[in-house]
Amino acid sequence: MITKSNNKYKVLLVEDEENIRTFVCALLEANGYQAIPAKSFGEAKLLYLSYIPDLVILDLGLPDRDGSALLSEIREKDTTPVIILSARGDEGEKVRLLDMGANDYITKPFGSAELLARVRTALRNSRPSAEEGKLPGGKFTLGELVIDYDSRRVFIGEAEIKFTQTEYNIMAYLSANPGKVMTYSSIIRTVWRESSDENSIKKLQVNMANIRKKLGAKPGEVGYVVNELGVGYRMGD
Amino acid sequence: MNKTAKKYLKNSIITLGVLAGCFGVSLLLHELLQIKGPITAIFVFGVFLISLTTDGYIFGLAAAFISVFAVNFAFAFPYFSFNFAIPENFVSALVMIVIALMTSTLISRLKAWQEIRAEGERERMRANLLRAVSHDLRTPLTTIYGSSSAILDSGDNIDEERKKRIIAGIKEDSEWLIRMVENLLSVTRIDSGSVEIIKTPTVLYELVDTVILKFKKRYPDKQVEIDIPEELVMIPMDAMLIGQVIINLLENAVQHAQGMTKLEFRVFVLGDKAIFEVKDNGCGIEQERLDKIFDGYFALNDDRSDTGKRNAGIGLSVCSTIIKAHGGRIKAENAKDGGAIFRFSLNTTEDTDYDNEKQ
Repeated sequence: MITKSNNKYKVLLVEDEENIRTFVCALLEANGYQAIPAKSFGEAKLLYLSYIPDLVILDLGLPDRDGSALLSEIREKDTTPVIILSARGDEGEKVRLLDMGANDYITKPFGSAELLARVRTALRNSRPSAEEGKLPGGKFTLGELVIDYDSRRVFIGEAEIKFTQTEYNIMAYLSANPGKVMTYSSIIRTVWRESSDENSIKKLQVNMANIRKKLGAKPGEVGYVVNELGVGYRMGD
Repeated sequence: MNKTAKKYLKNSIITLGVLAGCFGVSLLLHELLQIKGPITAIFVFGVFLISLTTDGYIFGLAAAFISVFAVNFAFAFPYFSFNFAIPENFVSALVMIVIALMTSTLISRLKAWQEIRAEGERERMRANLLRAVSHDLRTPLTTIYGSSSAILDSGDNIDEERKKRIIAGIKEDSEWLIRMVENLLSVTRIDSGSVEIIKTPTVLYELVDTVILKFKKRYPDKQVEIDIPEELVMIPMDAMLIGQVIINLLENAVQHAQGMTKLEFRVFVLGDKAIFEVKDNGCGIEQERLDKIFDGYFALNDDRSDTGKRNAGIGLSVCSTIIKAHGGRIKAENAKDGGAIFRFSLNTTEDTDYDNEKQ
């Protein structure tokens, strides 16, 4: 199920703390991935070029250079998914890294279930022909939710949900990147073609409130759109 | 609006208002009752009031000068003209200026003293917190350190079943440590200097959704009944800190409300305040604990043993610190039908009079 055409997915783990490296590697190997550990920026760059991994898990505080430098070097030419391991609580930093092209972030400390879920999501979305997500017929499905890109209509089961143009555009943009956190500014840039400020974020949040209502979301229950407080939104998980 | 401009406007309004009041009363006394004895005293009182309620010296002094001229012009012989040659007028002028100066000096000193006292209080709280925390960190660390070394050193002689239990203990105690560290980080985020917290307009729904999902992850078998307004509510706050408050309150109910079968979380808007309420139907809170429940740990735990992992005190005092830093209020009480209610309020409008309230 996890294996990719008989080969294991290669995951480059860049982390300078030996204990964290040890248990993450063990966890990845135990779940059918090939883990490639690196403990510094230099080593990571070398291993990246020689192994061409399918996924990079990147800690920011590296001894020789900041981890984000590796992210920008990777993004110069590749779309390899990158998951950031970050310290708690700095939304500004999260937004910056996501806008730099990181696919996801995990806050330390994290549990094994959380890490594996993020790894699966990141790998799934990077696959060119995903089983979920965009289907050949121009449709997106997630549970009961169906987005028909050709006719610009949204359904839950059989029932059509009437969205405004803007609401539909937001949904379409989020669904094009399922599982990935889309920052406020990236949504605003795509949907309204303007740069984000307090007013445009509010505009987005108001539209989102309407979308939630139409989707019948309830607070504290897992829905189709996940709130990433202070950062953005994510379709599914 | 600019805060200093607002302050000036407020002070000016007080000054003019009080002076107009003095003038009006004096005019009444003078014209209707033909009394002029207490007029100087009335203005002296006005100057005193203004010095007392405004910031700095300027407004008190200005009021003193205006009063001198007003009394001299309108209420002292010769009427409706200035005459400073009469010693009586001169003396009353001097008295008013001295009163303005002395009151203002006294008030400034009082404010400075209050500030020092508050600083000392914060310092004491911090020291107590640190002491309590370091003490409590030992218990989970003992489990983690002891358990892991036991498995490493004599793992071969421990059967699988027991090994699993030991490892589960390590996990549980680490989770406790994580929560503790989250709380401490929240407090340091506020306590680092006098930097005011940064408030961002936050959608109430998104906050509640995020917090409840997090809570359910921690306590999968606990049900929370949620009731929040249908309409879009935006509240300026540090969302991470307020999220911490809600989690702490819910967690407090789970850990301490014995016999609880129902946990409710409600938010409603009243005027320009959003009221958050966590209500359980457990055992309630003893009356003598109620008053000190947010004061921190130390006050509650004189009688504790070393066995319990009671971070309740810390969790609640963190709540109180966060809410106070937001300029809101937090309160605990017992419900009439049993159980405890924790309630806190936040302003829904950006501009708060927090600066003035703080003093």
